[in-house]
Parts: sequence; structure tokens; C-alpha cells
Amino acid sequence: MRGNDLKQAWQRMYTMIGKEENPFRDRIVETFSEDGLGNLSFNDFVDMFSALCETSPRELKTIYAFKIYDFNRDSFICKEDLRKTLNKLTKGDLTPEEVTLVCDKSIEEADLDGDSKLSFSDFENMISKAPDFLSNFHVRI
Amino acid sequence: MSTVSESLVGSSRSLSAAKRHKSIRKNSRRIYSAYQEQGSSDDEDKQDERVDSNDPEEMFQNIQYQKEIIANIRTRPWPMRRKLKVLKQAREIVLRYEGRLTRTRGYQTAGADLLKKVSRVLYNVVVLFIPWEVRIKKIESHFGSGVASYFIFLRWLFGINIVLTIMTGAFIVLPELLAGAPFGTTRSKTIPKEHLASAQDLDTIWSLGGYLQYSVLFYGYYGRLRKIGSAGYRLPLAYFLVGMAVFAYSFIILLRKMAKNSRLSLASASDENFTFCWRVFCAWDYLIGNPEAAESKGAAIVNNIREAIVEEQEKKKDTSLAVLISLRILANILVLLSLAGSIYIIYFVVDRSQKLEQEKPELTLWEKNEVSVVVSLITMIAPSAFELVAQLEMYHPRTSLRFQLARVLVLYLGNLYSLIIALFDKVNSMSSAVPVSPGNWSDSSSFLATISQPEVDSFSTLVSDISVSEHRNSTIATIATVLVVRNSSVSSSGSVFNQTALFEKNTRSQQDPCWETYVGQEMLKLSIIDMIFTVASILLIDFIRGLVVRYLSDCCCWDLESKFPEYGEFKIAENVLHLIYNQGMIWMGAFFSPCLPAFNVLKLIGLMYLRSWAVLTCNVPHQQVFRASRSNNFYLAMLLFMLFLCMLPTIVAIVRYRPSQHCGPFSGQEKIYDIISETVANDFPLWFSKVMSYVTSPVVVLPALLLLFMLIYYLQAIARSLKFTNNQLRMQLQTERTEDKKKVFQMAAARLQAPEAAVDKKPDEQESDITSQEASIHTPSPRRNGSVTNFNSPVRRGNSIRTITQSASRADLNRGRGAGSVRSPTVTILPKHRPEHVPNRKTIRSIHPVEAAGIITAQSYGGRRGPTTRYVIVNEHDPRKKLLRSATRVPRHYLMEEPAEILELYPRNFKRYPPRTAHRQPHPHRPQPSQPHLSEEEEEEDKGKGRRRLSLGKTHRPRSLSDLHQPAHFYIGDRGESHASMAKDRHTARGRCGAQEEDEEEEDVEMDWGGLESHSQSQTSLRGADSLLVRSRRHIHSPGRHCQSPARTRHMEAYVKPKTRPKLETPLTESDSASLASSSDQQNSSTDQYIQVIHNKEHYLKSSARQGKLGKKKSKTSFDLNVTESNDLVCSNV
Repeated sequence: MRGNDLKQAWQRMYTMIGKEENPFRDRIVETFSEDGLGNLSFNDFVDMFSALCETSPRELKTIYAFKIYDFNRDSFICKEDLRKTLNKLTKGDLTPEEVTLVCDKSIEEADLDGDSKLSFSDFENMISKAPDFLSNFHVRI
Repeated sequence: MSTVSESLVGSSRSLSAAKRHKSIRKNSRRIYSAYQEQGSSDDEDKQDERVDSNDPEEMFQNIQYQKEIIANIRTRPWPMRRKLKVLKQAREIVLRYEGRLTRTRGYQTAGADLLKKVSRVLYNVVVLFIPWEVRIKKIESHFGSGVASYFIFLRWLFGINIVLTIMTGAFIVLPELLAGAPFGTTRSKTIPKEHLASAQDLDTIWSLGGYLQYSVLFYGYYGRLRKIGSAGYRLPLAYFLVGMAVFAYSFIILLRKMAKNSRLSLASASDENFTFCWRVFCAWDYLIGNPEAAESKGAAIVNNIREAIVEEQEKKKDTSLAVLISLRILANILVLLSLAGSIYIIYFVVDRSQKLEQEKPELTLWEKNEVSVVVSLITMIAPSAFELVAQLEMYHPRTSLRFQLARVLVLYLGNLYSLIIALFDKVNSMSSAVPVSPGNWSDSSSFLATISQPEVDSFSTLVSDISVSEHRNSTIATIATVLVVRNSSVSSSGSVFNQTALFEKNTRSQQDPCWETYVGQEMLKLSIIDMIFTVASILLIDFIRGLVVRYLSDCCCWDLESKFPEYGEFKIAENVLHLIYNQGMIWMGAFFSPCLPAFNVLKLIGLMYLRSWAVLTCNVPHQQVFRASRSNNFYLAMLLFMLFLCMLPTIVAIVRYRPSQHCGPFSGQEKIYDIISETVANDFPLWFSKVMSYVTSPVVVLPALLLLFMLIYYLQAIARSLKFTNNQLRMQLQTERTEDKKKVFQMAAARLQAPEAAVDKKPDEQESDITSQEASIHTPSPRRNGSVTNFNSPVRRGNSIRTITQSASRADLNRGRGAGSVRSPTVTILPKHRPEHVPNRKTIRSIHPVEAAGIITAQSYGGRRGPTTRYVIVNEHDPRKKLLRSATRVPRHYLMEEPAEILELYPRNFKRYPPRTAHRQPHPHRPQPSQPHLSEEEEEEDKGKGRRRLSLGKTHRPRSLSDLHQPAHFYIGDRGESHASMAKDRHTARGRCGAQEEDEEEEDVEMDWGGLESHSQSQTSLRGADSLLVRSRRHIHSPGRHCQSPARTRHMEAYVKPKTRPKLETPLTESDSASLASSSDQQNSSTDQYIQVIHNKEHYLKSSARQGKLGKKKSKTSFDLNVTESNDLVCSNV
């Protein structure tokens, strides 16, 4: 799937999996594509659904969730990543001050090693205690 | 010492071989799933396999390993291509070697495969038959998991009701229908003549009278014959037992479900709250696909975040408290008033209907149904009223939701209870009417009657008796004139008249007062009316409103969709509560109306379709999201509460009231439960009744009760202590976290002081990069060989390495693999693993056990030290390269020569605990004794600990790599000089610790590596002249596991340092390369679980001090181990 087909295929796929509303759809696709640009091979596609399906284990989901939220792929969720996440999530409804506050607070909460960004282990620790991560982080085909 | 350790190891091994085996399996599985492995490593595996395949045990291990790979491949975050490749390889290996091993094993696997496929197909088929699965999934994908949780709950209730229906249907209703006396044969089964005419009227049917009343629907219909049918089915006994079984089953299934849920959700265990993080990362429900749902979800998320912000800000300031408090008090008063009002209304209505019944022969439709209508109306209206009131309170939405739920629950309970109490009052009057009447006549005054009644028939309270007499009188006189005082006079004066009237009434009531049937009727009626109201409210409030909003919004002056009426929200919490209430009614009435569960099944089916339709067409999800997974248990807890409270009235009725004389299976008995004692007395052998009498005597019951209490107390005490330890561990974690931060700074400072290191490192990194990329071990090895050799010769002589001794033993076992020497350290630490772990296995495989060990030890460290120490350092066992194999002899050689042992386990950052060294010195032997302990601990931990480990591991994250890694890479082996200089530099720089400098130096190095997250580094203690070289490779395992994003892994790879092994020349290098490869492999795999650290220990320092230091080191480690043990134990308990 490359080029123009891709775009159309995308549209179809988004609709198909009912994710057109998902603010992170681009991130999801990028995360699962091998080239990191959002071009999915069939394998990637299968991969995506195997990770996001209902029965996949929490660990796997955590890994991919981390990747999805790690916008700049530096293996850390830094404030910038958080800001992007928030903006996508709220579609820009929050004021910049609020966003900054939330970012700071989030990092303060989950950052265990004090490097003011979230490593995977921080993230995992946080997620493992989240009550509805498992139930929320999957898609239906 | 080595012998001692050996023996200890041996004994421990033999003692707990089986246990260990299990734990290892578990371990390895977890580990496998956690770390990653590259295709290349697999290739190696294969090659190794080929060479090693002669050993069946080994082969078996290998196959097991491959199978585990296959089983867990799903859980690894690899791209699909790699998964496929690895899977294929693993399959090939399994196929190839399994066949070779034994025929049967091959068949077994083939059979297992087939079974798996079949079960998968079956599962797919079964899913088709799960009721409403598709529907629920559809809802879920539109509205998210919150709304779906309601439907899942509904379906679950449906399942329960199905079972209840089957129970009652199969054991009560069917036998009665098939074998019981047919309709019209006995008095309790015939409709009285005066009612026959109206028996088929619609309103009679509607109020469940007439034919319905005399049918299997209700208690009264069932015959009292002890045995029915040719088979002698004991219907009354069955009735009683099933009635109890309904409750028992409900309890069991509920509790089981709750236990399962709580096991699933870790959240309940910890109080830790990541308010913001959760709101950011877990807020979005990936299932949502409907634009409107998405919009409202988005809005909800924004609201949530804003709330959190406000909350955060409000922590600092408080607003006008007085107003708020007074408002809240007002709100609560309002709520209480409305609760009291609703209860009073229900009571009043029941009372009124009772009086009306007495007064008028014919009741209107309204009069017949007013009780249930009123109750249903209240249950519908009051929650909305509460919601309005709740707005007064200005609580945080979540709190207000909780308040709301609690209030609604209380309301529902109040309704049910006032209803049931009112009914029982009526029951009192009904059942007392018959037996009491003779006594009443004889007594001239009703006052006397009240006293005599308890004697005659033992009925409840004085009050109720009075009311009874009242009502009897009222049949004669008008209601208005009824007063207790007057009562007596009236009854005494007009006794004759009274008597006749009463007699009439009695004859009529001979049939009528089947209070059980009456209660059953009321409950069923209530359930029906409730259903009607639900349907009506869905249609009116949701559907019509939706229509209006959608189609009239254009021709209205304001926006209907977003302003006033809006679309109906789907209030998950309220709806769930309603379900619970509904189920409560069923439980309450099931004993008196065996078909109630069946009716409920129908009702739930209808509700399912109607609700799901309504949700999909005209609802939007509630803004205030009720957390699904947490709420699951919340729902269940409420349901449990409801069940308990609904069971009480039935129990009371069974225990306290006398069953009706002329209807029902228990007629003629004094109490309902007499059926049991009667059966025991009549139908069981004599000894059984004797036993029963003993068992039920106080002699047995009291001690049993006492025992139960003690048990409860004990369990509670344990729970409390566990909580306590839990808290302590958390505190520890926190303090260590802060310490950790300090350490980071220190390390950073240290780095700055040794800039050269960075320079050195770079080339290393590149190399390592290459190696890791390729994952081929071999390339780097030759180069290193050359450099290493110099070191090697001196090193090997001087050292006495305990690990080596062990390795030798190992080697013996294993037919002398070259790897033995390196590997041996692992063995020392993990004696148990040995048997399992065939040396020949591939690097990865061999590593696994080690990892497990690593985890454990790490934890132990963690217990005391907290996050820092969490990495476990285990000497690396060494990977086995073919090249190495030739060198096998060497380890043995060592063995002979050098008895001394060095077990080096270094937690990172030893510096922190300099004082300890003094302590340690006295116990040089320590490490060995501690080992068996460790292994035991491992097992324990494996079982219990999984969770803990995770959390611990997390804390331990590496600092930013970029800062740290620079100094960390030293080249010791290859470039001795630069190395030395560097070491010096560092040394001087860090000189703070004075006397312990040397030790510290080592530690520093270690720290660096450890801090780095480190990539494999070999830890070598190089002694200059003597060159005591202890090379141990450690696997540091961060329990936390998984992962890092690929970028991370890349880093890690970069750091992998090719280290030269200063052991025997060839073997050393080989092992080195092998270990490198393995490390790189593992690191490539993005899972963090597996962090290999190879520490370099360099002692360039004084030879004289060396021995002492070594001793110290050992002692330190030993000390650590010991200390950690205790901690571990605690941990494992938790």
C-alpha cells in the first residue's frame, strides 16, 4: 500500500474500524508502520490489530501505548509529547497555560526517577494502575 | 568454601527439585515473553542445536524453549515479519528435534496443535452463541466501554436468572405440573366459587388474581403431599431446598465474580493516584467510533481535565465554606425528607389498599395496582429529584455521583423494605385472622385478645395485634370510628353481631389468606409495573425527546440539541442501579413465586433489546463517565448488598411466620423450616438424625462459631499486617526514589570529571553498534582476542575464583563445555537452575534462568535499597559458542588450582553504603550460605511476586542516557594504558570516600554502568601484577520489564561494549564475543526486562590491598544477599 491507494485505503480502513473519531489515529498508524511514516504493509496492518485487539496482553498494549504517545520516538514521553497528546485529545480546547499545567502535573505524578520525562517504566507503572486502560485501549473491527 | 557451597547447593537442589522445576518453568515463561530475541540469535541457536543435539535432555530443553517462544510470540512487540520468521524457525527446530527425540513426543505435539486448532474453531463458534455479543460490541464501538459495561452487566444478570429459572423450573414447577394433583382437585387449587365468575376478567388477570393466582406461579398452588408421583418426589422438601439454593447460588456466583474482577484489576490494590496521567493517557476510549459519542467524549475529557486543574488549584484555597456547608446540609435534609416521604407513602398505600380490600368487595383497577404503581413512580422520579438536589451541593462530580448512587440505592432499598414490611403487616393480619378468631370471640375485650394472641399463635408485636383487632372491627363499623379505646367497647358490646360477621369472613378467608401467595403476587405485580414504567420512560423520555430535539430544533428559537432538552443521556450508574433493584425484587419474591426468575428472564431480554435500541438511536453517553472496570466491582458490591438485604425478609418469613394453613407445600406445619427436621426424622436412618441432633446442639455449634470468629479475626489480622507491610514498602520506595535522584546528580558530576571516557567510548559504541546490528557475535571476537591475550595469561594464574570452581563442576556435568567457566557464576547464584539448564543451549536460553535469578536478587536488593539496587547483577554464565567448546578443560583446571572464590554481586552504587564494609569483613564466607536461601526466595517470589516486581522495576529507570553514558564506557581490556589513566582520573576525582577509595572505585565503575541502563559491560577486576582478574558478566535484570521503544533499544545497542575477556586466550575471547552477542541480542529486543550489564572492574591499584579488598567485596556481597533475603521474604509475603 503506497501512494494514492494508500490514502483511499486509509479512509476505508478508518471507517471500517470505526476509528475516524480517534484523535490518535495517525499516531497509531505511524507507530505500527515499519517505516514510521504511516505506510502500512499487510504485516503491519495485522500487527496493529493483533496489538489492539481485545485479548492481547496488557504488557503488549502498554508497549504500544507508550510508542503511540511518544511522538518524537526518543523512548521518552517528554513534555512536548504530552503537549501534543493533550492537544489531540482535547482538540485545542484547553488554553496553553492549562496544557502546561497538566503536562507538568502529569510528569510530576508519574516520573519516578526525576528526569522530568516519562520513561517506559514510569509509563508502565502508571498505566498498570490505571483502572480503565485495558478496557479502553482496544479497537473493534 | 567452595565445597561447602557445593554441598549446600546440592542439598537445596535435591530438596526442592520439583518445586524448583515448576518455578523455573514459570520464570522462564515470563522471561521469555519479556525479552526479545533476534532472528540471528535464533540462527545461532540452530547451529548450537545441531552440535548439541546428541544430548536428549538438552534437546528437550531446547524444544521446550522453542515451544515457549511459539506460545508467547504474540506478546512480543515485534513487527510481524520478524514474528513470522522467528515462529517459523522455532517451529522448524521443534519439528526437527522433536522427531529425533521420540516419536511419541512428535505425535503429542501434532495432537496438541490439532487440539488447538479445533478449540479455536470451537471458540469462534461459541462466540456466535453468546447472547447479544454482536449487539454489545456494536454499542461498545459506538459509545465506548462504559455504556457497554451496563449491557454486559445486564447479560450477566440474565445468565444468573437463567440458572435460577432452571433451578426452580426443573425442581419445583415441572414436578408439580407433571406429578402434582391437577388443577381443581384440592381446595388450594380451585378457584372459590364466588371468584369463578370474574376469574377470567382482564382486570383480575391483570392483578394476578383468578386463574393466575391458582397456578404454579405462586406458592399457594403447590401441594402439601410429602411425596408426589410414582417416584415419590418430595416436593415440599425440594421447594424449601431450592428456595435456599437460589440464594446460595446467587451468593456464590457473585462472590466468585467479584474475586475474579478484583484479581483482574490492579487498580484496587493501590491507592496511588495518577490523576492527570490517567486523564491524559487513559481517557480516550479507543472503541469510540460514533462522531457524536466522540464529541461528547472529547468534551468529557476536557471537562475532566479542567476539573482536575480546578481541584488542584483548590487544594490551596477554600471558598466560602459557610454557604457551601449550609447548602449541603440543606440538600441532605431534602434528600432525607424525600426518602422518608417515599417510605411513608409506600407504607400508607399498602395500608390503604388493605383497608380498601376489606371495605369494598370490588376494587377498581387503580385500587388494585396502586401499590406497585406508586412504588414504581417513586423509583422513577426520586432519582431525578436527587440529582437536582445534588446540584445544590456543588460537590466534585465524581463525589456527587457517588452520593447520588448511594442515595438512590437507599431509596430503592427503602422502597422494597417498606413494601415488604407493609406486606408482612398485612400478612400478620391475614394469618392471624384464622387462628385467632376463636380466642377473640371468647374474650369480651379486644385488649384481652391482644394478650391472648401471643399465647395462642405467637404473633409479632402488640401493635400489630391491635391493628388486627382494629381491622376486624372495622369490617363492622366504619373506619373512621376506629380507635383502640372505642374498639374494645364496640367489640364487647356488639359481640354477637361481631361474631356472625367474623364467621362469614372466616369462611371466606379460609381460602384467601394464603399470605405467601399474596406476597408473591405483590412482588410479581411490582416487577411487571416496573417493567411497564421502564418501557414507558424509555419511549417517552428518550425516544420522544430525541425525536423532538432532532426534528424541532430547526423551528425553535434556541438550539434544542445543545441547550434545554438535549438528547437523553444514558446514565450508566442509574441504569445499573435499576437493574440491581430489579434483581432485588426477584430475590425477594422468588421464594413465594417460583416463576419470578422466569419472568425476570423475559423482562431482561426485553430490556436488553429496548435499551440497546434506545441507546443506539436516541441517547448520548453520560458526560460523567463512570469508570467501567472499577465500577464493575462496584456494581457487584451493590448487588451483593442488595442480595443480602433481599434475602433477609425471606429468611424472616421462613423463620418467624407460620405458613398458611390451607395452601402451599408447608401447610400444616408450625414453621416452614420444619420440613427439614421432619424429613430427617422420618426419612433418614436413625443414626443420621442422632448425628444431626448432635451437630445442631450447642456443644457443636458454639465451638464452631467460636472457631469461625477466630478464623475471621486471624485472617483480618493477616490482612492488616499485609497492608502495613505494603505501606512500608511503598514508603521505602519513595525514599529510595529521592535517594535515586541524588545519585543521578552525583553520577552526572562524576561524568563531567572524566571527560576522556567519552572519547574512548565512542569507538566502542560504534563497534558495539555494528555488532548489535548484525547480532553476530563472531566478528568482534577475533580482534579482541589479540588484545585480550596479553592480559589473560597473568590473570588466570593468580585468581581463585569461586565461580570458576562451580563452573567446573558444571562443566563436568555438561560434558565440559567451554562456556563453563564463564557460566559458572550464574550457577553459583542459582543453584537450582542448573539441572534444568543445559549448558549447551544457546546463549539466550542459558540466559533465561539467569534472568530469573537476576530478578529475584534484584528484588532483594530493592527491598533494602530501593530502586537503585534493583538491577540484579548476576554473573554471566556463558554462552556457549562452538569455539568455546574446545576450551572446556580450562575451567576444570581452574577448579583444581584455585579454591578461593569470588562471588561478585554488586548492586549499583555501593558508595552509598560505605559503612557496611566494616561489618562485612568478618564474614567472608557469607555468600555461599546465602545462596540456597536465595534460590528459595526465588521460588517464592516467582509465585507471589510478579506484580511487585513490576512496580519495583519501574522505579528504576535509567537516567537520561545521554548524560550518563559517556564516562561509562571504558576500555579496559584493549587499552590498558588509557584505561589506567582514566581510572586514575576518576579515582582522584572521586576521592571523597577516603579509605574506601578502592572499593569505591570499583563501585563507581559499576555505578556508571548500572546507571547507564547499561548495556553489557564486563566487570573485571584487574589486578596489575598479580592481575587478579575476575571477570564476571552480569545480567542485570530490571524486573520492571518491557520495554523500550525501538529508539531506546538502539541506544542500548550502541552501548554494548565489546569487552575482552581476560581469561584463557581463545576460550575467553570466544566467550566474550558470545556474551556480547547475547547481550546485544537481548538489548535489541526492545523489552527492557533484560538488561545485561557487564561490569568492568578494574583494579590497577595496589596489589597489597587487593586481597583485603577482595575479601571485602565478597563480604559485601554476601552481606547484601543476607540482608536482602529477609526483605525478600517480606516481599514475597506481600
